[in-house]
Amino acid sequence: MTLSGYEAVFFWIFGLAAIFAGLLTVMARNAVHSALFLISSLVSVAALFVLARAEFIAGVQILVYVGGVMVLFLFVIMLVNVGAQERGREEIFNNQRQVAASLIFCLLLVGGVLYAVNRGYSGLQALNPRPEGTVGQQSIRDQSHPPSATGSSRITEDAENVGASLYRYASLPFEIASVLLLVAIIGSVMLARTLRQEASADDVAPEVLQDEIATDPTLPQISAD
Amino acid sequence: MLLLGPINVLNDLLLNVFSQETINFFIWPLIQIGLVVTLVALWVAYATYLERKISAFMQARLGPMRVGPWGLLQPIADGLKLLTKEDFIPEKADRWIFFFAPYIAVASAFIVFAVIPFGPDWAVIADVNIGLLLVLAVSSIGVLALILAGWSSNSKYALLGGLRSSAQMVSYEVAMGLSLIGALMFARTLSLSGIVAAQGSDSIWFLVYQPAGFLLFLISGIAENNRAPFDLPEAESELVAGFHTEYSGMRWSLFFMAEYAAMVVVASVATTVYLGGWYFPFVYRLEAAGYHNLYVLVSLLVFLVKTSIILYIYFWLRWTLPRFRYDQLMDIGWKWLIPSALINIVLSGFAIFVVQALDGWRGMRTIESLERGLNLTATGKGIMIGFGVAGLFLTAILLARINWRSRDFNLKTQRRNIKLVNLPQGKPAVQPGS
Repeated sequence: MTLSGYEAVFFWIFGLAAIFAGLLTVMARNAVHSALFLISSLVSVAALFVLARAEFIAGVQILVYVGGVMVLFLFVIMLVNVGAQERGREEIFNNQRQVAASLIFCLLLVGGVLYAVNRGYSGLQALNPRPEGTVGQQSIRDQSHPPSATGSSRITEDAENVGASLYRYASLPFEIASVLLLVAIIGSVMLARTLRQEASADDVAPEVLQDEIATDPTLPQISAD
Repeated sequence: MLLLGPINVLNDLLLNVFSQETINFFIWPLIQIGLVVTLVALWVAYATYLERKISAFMQARLGPMRVGPWGLLQPIADGLKLLTKEDFIPEKADRWIFFFAPYIAVASAFIVFAVIPFGPDWAVIADVNIGLLLVLAVSSIGVLALILAGWSSNSKYALLGGLRSSAQMVSYEVAMGLSLIGALMFARTLSLSGIVAAQGSDSIWFLVYQPAGFLLFLISGIAENNRAPFDLPEAESELVAGFHTEYSGMRWSLFFMAEYAAMVVVASVATTVYLGGWYFPFVYRLEAAGYHNLYVLVSLLVFLVKTSIILYIYFWLRWTLPRFRYDQLMDIGWKWLIPSALINIVLSGFAIFVVQALDGWRGMRTIESLERGLNLTATGKGIMIGFGVAGLFLTAILLARINWRSRDFNLKTQRRNIKLVNLPQGKPAVQPGS
């Protein structure tokens, strides 16, 4: 591909780190260890985004996935008892057919991704041709950006572009997505409430609420736990 | 001469061994990183000394006086003591995570210094386009260290401290990120050097445009650092020491270091975004007169003084305010800070809209240029400052009205009033969980 010099070194380091951390995520026996390997994998992928000059995506990846989602993940793992799986000594790859099937799908996925990347790459090359000698260097568009304070890197308009297109051209889908998230939050709160909590909020005994629900045909049945 | 001209001697010397590309990509950044890490570590060590001194003066004591003149060598003595103490790992602990958690804490606090502009030109390691986003992202990793330390210790106090810290930091992170957006509207960039340049070319601090944003950022920053009065995760009176109960020796001091480094980070971000960073009124004249390195050094000094003032506020609050209760902490975060940050965003957007609409109306000029952030004329500045101060009161009144008696909120009467349930009065409920 087009990477050369230090960028290639960093690409290989982070690429291999992402792959092996991903493998260890599914192979670790302890749920917390799995979560930690997933975090390492996400951070490596964020580093790859930086190498692809998508700094904004990299920052958002770390902020949202590592700082938000994975913290809540760990929170849940620590609250829920997962001790049984940890203490078990069963083999992870104990079924030959499962292993074979997953290997086949893995190979299919790799083939598909390689095909897509090659197609996309040649398409990009046709769209934005570069002279042979400048392979691996910053493109002319990159070099026209104002230099940063240290002079070694250049400021891109990545974040500005994302913001402008998000709020100018895609503001309605953006708002719809946020309403969807709100619906999901309220729905999960309603689903997680048990009958006992409902009863204590209404300050009645659970049996009263149970009878009330059982006799009301308009209400869906809620399990009494 | 070194003070006045650019440092070319070292560069020429290095050119004998390395190529220019290697020097630009590796050698200079490594020198900068080494300097920053050493200086910040020293700063952190002396922040503990200052904290002890300030607390002593507030309580009419002397503080550390024995080691060196005025106890100035006390941090070094403390460091040596901690280094030589036993590094104890509990038998039932998860050894690897117990081992790594302090390093995650220190790394997440120190990585942020890579993008902080301590001064112009060579005083910043990396000026990236996503500067502020990177600061928020990397400091959000810090919470992982606290949870992992609490969990891996396999102790009840530590686990409770870790869970408290994760809930607290996740909720205050939201307010912290939202409070910065108002200032970003004026800077029109996420790059921290760009934010300083915007304030420099407008010759104003964003503090006067965004008083509400500054207050919100400072409060949520203190909560994010788990400092008093928000030090619930390590509440001594309830949880022994919180998430680091089982830690000892050097590993414990790494947590301590991370806490102080994170304080310095929040103080420097507040300085950069709201107090003009390294900029002060006549600094550009030094550059114009040709004293380049003197200009950088003076800017560095200005930055240090501003950051130290904010750090002093930290110590001051710690020794004056009592700790919040946990429900009060969550109330402040979710009912006050986040809504007021949202109101601040809307008001800032409205203020900028008004100023832009007034530009060119009956010959009025409010906007000077949009090249380096939003630069306003004197009229525009006046309008914007008026909006900022009015916004402070408006936010306070609005939230006071919304949160009026919100703690008396009665779910039972609410549900009965809106006929969600239509229940007969039964016998009282049993306690949940029994």
